[in-house]
Amino acid sequence: MNGLQWWCSAQTAAWTWSPRPFPGVWLLVALLVGVYWLLGRFAGEPAGASERSRDRKGKWAWFGGVLVLWIALDWPVGALSGYLASAHMLQYLLTVLAAPPLLLLGVPVGAWRRLASSSGAVRVVRFLTHPLIALAIFQLVLLYTHVPSVVDRLMVTPSGSFAIDTLWLTAGLVFWWPVVAPVPARPWFGYPLKMGYLFLSTVLNTMPYAFLTFGELPFYGIYELAPPVGLLGPREDQQLAGLMMKVGGGVILWTAITILFFRWYSREGEAEGPAPSF
Amino acid sequence: MNPTTRNKIRRTVGRAASVLTLTACLGVLPTGCRVEAPERTEAEERARSTGYRGILLVDADPRPDFVLTDLRGEAFDFRAETEGKLALLFFGYTYCPDICPVHMASLAAVKRDLSVNEQRGMRVVFVTADPRRDTPERLREWLGNFDRDFVGLRGSEAEVDSIMLSLGLPPAIRDTVSGPDYAVGHASQVIAFPPGDGFRVIYTFGTRQADWKHDLPRLLNP
Repeated sequence: MNGLQWWCSAQTAAWTWSPRPFPGVWLLVALLVGVYWLLGRFAGEPAGASERSRDRKGKWAWFGGVLVLWIALDWPVGALSGYLASAHMLQYLLTVLAAPPLLLLGVPVGAWRRLASSSGAVRVVRFLTHPLIALAIFQLVLLYTHVPSVVDRLMVTPSGSFAIDTLWLTAGLVFWWPVVAPVPARPWFGYPLKMGYLFLSTVLNTMPYAFLTFGELPFYGIYELAPPVGLLGPREDQQLAGLMMKVGGGVILWTAITILFFRWYSREGEAEGPAPSF
Repeated sequence: MNPTTRNKIRRTVGRAASVLTLTACLGVLPTGCRVEAPERTEAEERARSTGYRGILLVDADPRPDFVLTDLRGEAFDFRAETEGKLALLFFGYTYCPDICPVHMASLAAVKRDLSVNEQRGMRVVFVTADPRRDTPERLREWLGNFDRDFVGLRGSEAEVDSIMLSLGLPPAIRDTVSGPDYAVGHASQVIAFPPGDGFRVIYTFGTRQADWKHDLPRLLNP
């Protein structure tokens, strides 16, 4: 019997389409709304119209990120991630690749300025979000949270499942930070290197993708022995999860690469364009 | 090149090398060799001592001698029909939400990996513990979702219970008072009878496809 759980986790009871509450997820959503309010206080008044307009767009990005996280963690996706590896992968894509850049884009300009003026904080952030460190953290979390024994051990309890989701969100924020965040300033990490950084991560996720898609047998006990949902067998479910990682992850990362390319192109165009008239 | 720039380049190259080495090492672990499901200690331990990942019962009685009705309405003599073959016997019901479909799906998936000869050498026999709801049509459709060669058998509740008892299994508990969507409590193990009898191997719920893949060839040629 499914009792009230504060966070979704793998279940032995048969799947039903009756909605289930996960208070921990709602608390997280409320917390993120609160964080946005605090960031606004921390940022102070926007300096000028362009900053105000930028912050207005940022608000949409922040709440878009919160919405994506909510969809990823709450019923039904969150609950299904205890039954299907493919649902777990969808949760991964949303938590690691979709929500973090939106949250970072949503931080008010003033908050970035305040952060940049705090040398201690910048030192920590500079180290953690150095592209090589960020990529290593991201890859380590990606690999660690897909190791079958880790998934089988953690996904069976709400706290274990929460630990995975927290790791994902943190790794996602660290990974996207060098691409999206203006602090710390890294003039050497321009558009070409940012694109290269994202491209490298599409290459590196080929390893877990291959592991899942071409595995002869189901790797995860919790999904292999879970009460079935629909007609998808454990092997097909695992293959679908692998494909989602490659295709879904690829779509998100290549979209970001394309955006960066056009921004780079338009900036180069500006630099090479006609001299401004006086 | 001034020393500061040189140091910077050296530091960056060093960082890149460590990250790539670390990532490569971690990546090679799961993909470098043949991709296989992880070994699990309990089943592995059993396999080390008995050769089977299931629970081996030595000096067991020969396969049971019972006759039930198959899905064409004909008598199915279990001992005669499975003689000389590996028989995998399971008691369950088609409305079962968890154990029965998982066992059947695992067996069907691993059976597909075997050679045609090996597939011919085994019979999966599913005896319904819920003959009231498991009509021949429903049983055929349900088993067909897994493998069309799986044998479905029906009998009266008393007949099925007595066969289960003879195998040392508890009889099924049908909670019919709770309404038409009642649950049936039943033994969760698949019993394997190898071609020559002499021993049995029990596969409880939790048996993975990796376990079946390990044991089926051994059960077919003990």
